[in-house]
Amino acid sequence: MSYQVKRTEATSNWYLPGILTGLGFTFRKMISNLLHPKDMPTLNYPEEKYQYGPRFKGNHVLTVRKDGSIRCTACMLCATNCPADCIKITAAENEDPSVEKYPISYEIDVLRCVFCGFCEEACPVDAIRMGPEWQTAALNGSNFAYDIQQLAYRPQLKGGVRSVVDDQERHHAGI
Amino acid sequence: MPKCTINGKEVEVPQGASIIEAFKAMGEDICHYCWHPGLSVAGVCRLCMVQIEGIPKLQIACNTEVKDGMVITNQSEQVKDTVKWGLDFHLINHPLDCPICDQAGECGLQDQYMQYGKYDPEMAEKKVKKHKVVDLGPTIVLDSERCILCSRCVRFTEEVSQTNELGIFNRGDRSEIGTVDGKPLDNNYSLNTVDICPVGALTSKDFRFRQRVWYLKDSDSICPGCSTGCNVKVYFNEEGLWRVKPRYNAEVNGHWMCDVGRDTYKYVNKRARLLKVRAGQAEYWEDKEVFSAVMEAGRDLRESAEKNPNSVAVVMTGQYTNEEFKEFFDFAAGELKLTRFYHWMNDPAHAEDFDGLLYRGDKNPNTNGLKAEAKTHGGFKSFEDLQANLGGLETILVLGPENQSQFDDIKEKVEMFGKAKKVIWLTACGSEEINALRAPSVQIPMKTYIEKAGSFTNYKGLVQEFKRGTTIVEDALTLSEVVTLFRGHELDYKNRPQPLGGTKKNHFTEIRGQL
Repeated sequence: MSYQVKRTEATSNWYLPGILTGLGFTFRKMISNLLHPKDMPTLNYPEEKYQYGPRFKGNHVLTVRKDGSIRCTACMLCATNCPADCIKITAAENEDPSVEKYPISYEIDVLRCVFCGFCEEACPVDAIRMGPEWQTAALNGSNFAYDIQQLAYRPQLKGGVRSVVDDQERHHAGI
Repeated sequence: MPKCTINGKEVEVPQGASIIEAFKAMGEDICHYCWHPGLSVAGVCRLCMVQIEGIPKLQIACNTEVKDGMVITNQSEQVKDTVKWGLDFHLINHPLDCPICDQAGECGLQDQYMQYGKYDPEMAEKKVKKHKVVDLGPTIVLDSERCILCSRCVRFTEEVSQTNELGIFNRGDRSEIGTVDGKPLDNNYSLNTVDICPVGALTSKDFRFRQRVWYLKDSDSICPGCSTGCNVKVYFNEEGLWRVKPRYNAEVNGHWMCDVGRDTYKYVNKRARLLKVRAGQAEYWEDKEVFSAVMEAGRDLRESAEKNPNSVAVVMTGQYTNEEFKEFFDFAAGELKLTRFYHWMNDPAHAEDFDGLLYRGDKNPNTNGLKAEAKTHGGFKSFEDLQANLGGLETILVLGPENQSQFDDIKEKVEMFGKAKKVIWLTACGSEEINALRAPSVQIPMKTYIEKAGSFTNYKGLVQEFKRGTTIVEDALTLSEVVTLFRGHELDYKNRPQPLGGTKKNHFTEIRGQL
């Protein structure tokens, strides 16, 4: 059995008018961009950066208590809720009985993360938030598995973000 | 046999049965905390309220006997309202600990609040704060705040273990569970109190914070810890086995099991296990691929048995299933015509010991099965016979125990077997004791009880079947598979049971560091 490929006939050999129309459009835009640079829809990326809204879901932040220790109680709700399965927590017993349980390791594989923010929503103690950072480059693929140091105490956070849910305040309030 | 009507359905119950037992027998839903089928009735939680026709007030189902002609319901608005408010009272002082509470996920309070809860508490007062993280003993941690004072644990120590360690101290909203003078709760059945605790007040130190229960899968099994053969549920995930809990069987263990049996999960996990065939002798061992090495050992065994069947001795422990023993005897006694079989028990002098509840001195789950199978093949010889003939033996094949910690004489035995020319030792766990073997030896990795299906015959001759739960060491073999390889046959490698898959992993994750 043989196949025959049907080719549609070129409707016209008159391609020159089309090319000239396109070039004219480009030239017109170039002139108008040179005259009115503010109206350009694109950004000069490394120099100019887009300002995202305050609810933007960027890189994760683990919040801290007043004393700077990690707020997370290792309840694993974020890991359970995570659709990308990128959170890995190992819980341990804290010597302080008012803390009891804390994560001895907390790892997020950011390359797997889909930035859906379900972890933030699942967290009962405001221990994990989606931060504003979105420019995260690294030289090596292994640098994308964020650990507690990176998530809670990276230099950009300046000593850590305070959690709004405080155990002691809760305790005094009788909750 | 009184007849009654429960939620519109007629049911006949045994004389003296309580209403809650009738509900349970029918499979009807009823909210309850303090009632436990294995314990006496306390009637303190007031949640199992039912409406009985002809009685103006609601009654508790756990402490009301079924009378002939009773018409009972727990679906009326009045009952639902009472249960809702009852639950709210229980929660007045209950802390919001669910994120750090080990019980979360299998908590009676969570489950029943979802079903019957009020959802908008009206309590304006502060919660009463009690002691947290109280060390009750070597196995248990108590959190008094979470306790709802159902008194199940107290009744357990009074009625079942009869050790009377626990009690309720203080009065009113300051009541707390505790031990007299802070004495430790230390008995062989202490962890049952953790199982029956309907909230997370009592938690096991061994399992505390290790895993969230919703990550665990479970499977029914039989405890291999002693010859009682308690019915158990094993909880595992892809990382291994995490805990063992009792499963109800009226004939064997009732609702309970001992703490020693719960420890059997420890030797099952990969860290303790032998992963490959280990060949060599004391101070020099090398790992070999399992299947080829076992076949090679089998070839040597068959050769020496063909020359002289009396030059091969088989030392057996009652730690394998009936099916495996049958297949092994068919091979060893039937095909190889071996005659020297020896029975190795952990402590023969105390084999008949019994603590009055569950725990027996014979730490092998299948001693009876082994004895019955051996009887049809000429029975066992005594160890004196082995001692006397050690010099003339070509090979000793040891069907070693998987639960080695219960075999105190393992060092002596290793020394004794080491005097033979060659030892083949089948074992689930690698250990320093076995590594001290003086003779050229092969250690073959074996499967443990949760990795194989089969049956154990317990101390009173009851044959109990169990299923495979999971696979932890892929290359480990069952005794039947060892026999197949010893015969020189290939296994069905492709269809061997596989371990649970780990987290769905990005294929690039492993090579990412080099990118």
